[in-house]
Formats: sequence, structure tokens, C-alpha cells
Amino acid sequence: MFKAKIMAVLLFMGLVGLCGVRAIGGPHWSASQADPAQEAWRKEFDDVCSKTQDAMTFSQEELTVLIRRCDDLLPQIEKLDETRKKVYMGRLRMCRGLYAYVLDAKRNEKK
Amino acid sequence: MPMCSMQKGTRKNERGLLLLVLACGVLLLGNIASAQIYLPKPPPEPSEYGKVILDNYSTAGPGAVVFDHWLHRSKFTCRLCHVDVGFAMQAKATGIRASTNREGFHCGACHDGKKLFDGKTIFAACSDAANDKQCDRCHSLGKKGARKYEYKEFTAKFPKGIYGVNWEAAERSGVIKPVDFVEGLSVKKAPMRSREDFSVKAGFSWVNPIAFSHEKHSIWNGCELCHPEIFPTAKKGTIRFSMFSNIEGRYCGACHGKVAFPLNNCQRCHPNAPLWAP
Repeated sequence: MFKAKIMAVLLFMGLVGLCGVRAIGGPHWSASQADPAQEAWRKEFDDVCSKTQDAMTFSQEELTVLIRRCDDLLPQIEKLDETRKKVYMGRLRMCRGLYAYVLDAKRNEKK
Repeated sequence: MPMCSMQKGTRKNERGLLLLVLACGVLLLGNIASAQIYLPKPPPEPSEYGKVILDNYSTAGPGAVVFDHWLHRSKFTCRLCHVDVGFAMQAKATGIRASTNREGFHCGACHDGKKLFDGKTIFAACSDAANDKQCDRCHSLGKKGARKYEYKEFTAKFPKGIYGVNWEAAERSGVIKPVDFVEGLSVKKAPMRSREDFSVKAGFSWVNPIAFSHEKHSIWNGCELCHPEIFPTAKKGTIRFSMFSNIEGRYCGACHGKVAFPLNNCQRCHPNAPLWAP
């Protein structure tokens, strides 16, 4: 009977402890953390937008593909929570905008 | 009778002359007034230049935040904050809140209490555990002595130009080494290739052409911060740049006159021009 009481108390304390950790020090969701479902869009985003400094070296066809990949990312980013969406939509807009700008410049060059 | 008509004629001429003088006077005054509007405003003291007061949500709580642009530009590239972290270039457009900082966005992208800079931990922005003194480091409007860094002491060893710190010279001399990557947000990229500098012909023959450092701008800003949002087309002759548009905050004026060296600093863009416009 005594043992059971001790076990119950220990169990209770353990549960309280776990809840406490969650309430006091529960890790805030951070920009660097992401669940696996979100990882796919992030990988694609990183890949597409990691080439901006080389935009001038791409052919018109390559730039068109990059723009299309940006457009494909848009619906996935629109599903994110408010702040993430705002940050990544802005970045995607700049990244896509640059590729479109360079494509436009290359088309004008040929004329 | 002929004498009378002559007098009338003289009076008419006088009236006409008076009207002409008045019209010229009005025209002159108008021009002076518009010139006043279109002359770059004299910038504040370098320590105040680029200072941003963030008072969207915080005035009721810990008070408004004072953001010193000079402090952060000495440590980070423009691109890092305005592209990767997502700080808008216009006031009140970012939507910074204590909660977004705690989530690791905006100020919290670096100020998370974990990241290191120069071997020191960067304090956490809007942390639950922060005390009043810690809050006051940023929420410092009207609180004397709350800030850790003061312009004069912080920039004492930085090379100076005609107006405050010459940031380009500061980087060249190695006094500052702006960081261009923040873990968790930035995308790993190959180093920026050198861009060719070029000159832009001025609209008037008496104004020297602009010596534009494309290399410096692309290293600090990346390509996507300027193109296409600030400079929307590469087609020559499509955009008519002018000092008027710059003063209005377009093109070069998106940064110069707000946070980058002021537009009065003529010689920085137009070599051999007068050093400084009033």
C-alpha cells in the first residue's frame, strides 16, 4: 500500500514536471526549425533562390525554368503561418523578380 | 488731344511693365519654392542618421524601439537584413512584433540568445525572461543611458568622410566585416562574382557623369534587393533618373538620403563635383 502511494506520488511528480517543462521552457517554434512536410518546399526554395547572384550567366531557357519553379512554390508558401508566409513570400517575390528582370534584359539584348 | 493719347499709351506701357515684373517675380518665387522642395534636406547628425523609431505596437507597453542603422550596418550586409530576414525598406511594412521576434523572425532571427557574434552571445529579443533593463536596450526612446552603444565611441576608429563614417573605406580597411549569412534563414550561395562598375551620363553637360560602383552595391545588396523593385528595367533610356526622383525616395534615393550616405554628398557619385550641397 505504501509502495503504491510512493509510486503514485512519483508518477504525479513526473507528470507535473513534464507539464512544467512544457509550460516554462517549452521551446518556441523557431525559424530554423521545420517539420518534414515543410522541408520539401524549403529545400526547393533554397535551391531556386540560391542562384540569384549567377542570374546573368543563365540562358533564357534556364531563367524561364527558374521562374516557373518560383511560381510552383507560391501555393506552398501561401499555406504557411502569417509571419513565415510574409517573410518567404517577400523573398520569393524578389528572387522571381530578379530572374524575370534578367530574362527581360536578355530578350532586349537580342532585339 | 494727341498729347492725351500719348499719356494714355505711356500709362498702358507702365501698367504692362508692372504686370510683367510682377509675373516674373511670381515665377521666380515659384521656382525658389520648388527648388526648396527639391533640394536635398540637410541631414541630421551622423549619429541620428538612419535612426528608425519602431512604435507600431510597443508604445503602450515597454515604449518605442530605437533602431540604430549605423550599428547594424557595421556588422551585417544590407542584403542579409532586407532580403533574408525580411525587413521591408518602407516604414511600418514589416510587421515586427514581440511574438515574431520570439519565433525567430525579424530581430529574433539573430537576437535569439544563442547565436554568436564576435565571440559574444547575441541577446534574445523580447525574451520572456527579460527584465526591464534588458527590454530598455531596444525599447529606449526617451530613456537616457539605456543603450549599450553610442555612435561616437563605437565609430571612433572608423575612417570618416565628409559626412560621418565612410563605410566603404571602413570595409576596405578591415575595420568592419559585414556578415552575409544567418543560420536558419539564409541560403548558401556561391560567392558573389565581381560586377563591372560603370558610369551614368548626367542629364546636363555641366554635371559630371556618375561613377557607379556596381561591385560594391552588388556585394552589399545582392542583385535582388535593387532589381527589379528599385531599378525595374535594364533597358537603356527607359528610366529617367534625376536628383528630383532621388530626393523623392526613388531609385538611388531608396537608400541614399535615408540610410546610405546623403544626397548632399555630391562628390561621392559625381567625381570632381562640389564636395557638399547645402
